[in-house]
Amino acid sequence: MNEGSSIHVDGVAQRLDLAVCAGADGLSGAVSGALCSDLLSFVMANGRAGNLWLTIQTHPNIVAVAELARLSAIVVVSGFTPDEDTLMRADEESIPVLTSPESAFTVAGRLYGLGVR
Amino acid sequence: MDEAASVHHEFPILGRAYFLGGRASTSMKRALREANVDESTIRRVSVSCYEAEMNVVLHARSGYVVVDIYSDRVEIRVADQGPGIEDIELAMTPGWSSAPEEARALGFGAGMGLPNIKGQADEMGIESTQGEGVRLHLVFMREGVSDE
Repeated sequence: MNEGSSIHVDGVAQRLDLAVCAGADGLSGAVSGALCSDLLSFVMANGRAGNLWLTIQTHPNIVAVAELARLSAIVVVSGFTPDEDTLMRADEESIPVLTSPESAFTVAGRLYGLGVR
Repeated sequence: MDEAASVHHEFPILGRAYFLGGRASTSMKRALREANVDESTIRRVSVSCYEAEMNVVLHARSGYVVVDIYSDRVEIRVADQGPGIEDIELAMTPGWSSAPEEARALGFGAGMGLPNIKGQADEMGIESTQGEGVRLHLVFMREGVSDE
């Protein structure tokens, strides 16, 4: 991917075969980078606007964190299933929740390959 | 700092309700946006408010958060009814936490809450009374606003 061109959540979902579980209204958001952590405070402190967040946490609080830190989407990895309440809250806040059977390590590598920095 | 706040809101926080945690902060963020506070300040307030809210959820029975928006700053007060903090200096140490194991498994209680707040706020005051609760006072100077 060329410098300056932008990649969006829906493009990432398509190219990495991520399932869109909720928050479809936010799929057109731009992806500015990514971070990988299961500690919510770490994400609050280090997440930047537009970041994609890879995690194995599945409870509704991840939506609050993503919304407050202005992240572009949450990718629940390693085949974990987001809670029903998480999906409802994600729809309310228009935060896309995507899932992948692959590990955070693999998804992160593929994101890097797509040009996400 | 005795002029009237242009906007005042209060939001309740329920202790132990892990999964409702963040609701007060989300409501507060909406209020800041409606008051046309700049995005950079909103982010600092949101991060701090979330950490403070989760501290109440993790440790106390109940609490509330109050926001006052002034022309040059945003002030946040968080107070709870709970056990209080035994040693505030220790609680400010990054990585130190007294959160229950069940909360840590969910990604809470990493011992980063108060240090995160300190890093975001321009002023931070914290008081605790054993067996009664904690009172936190935060000031965030709004960006792009002159001091005069």
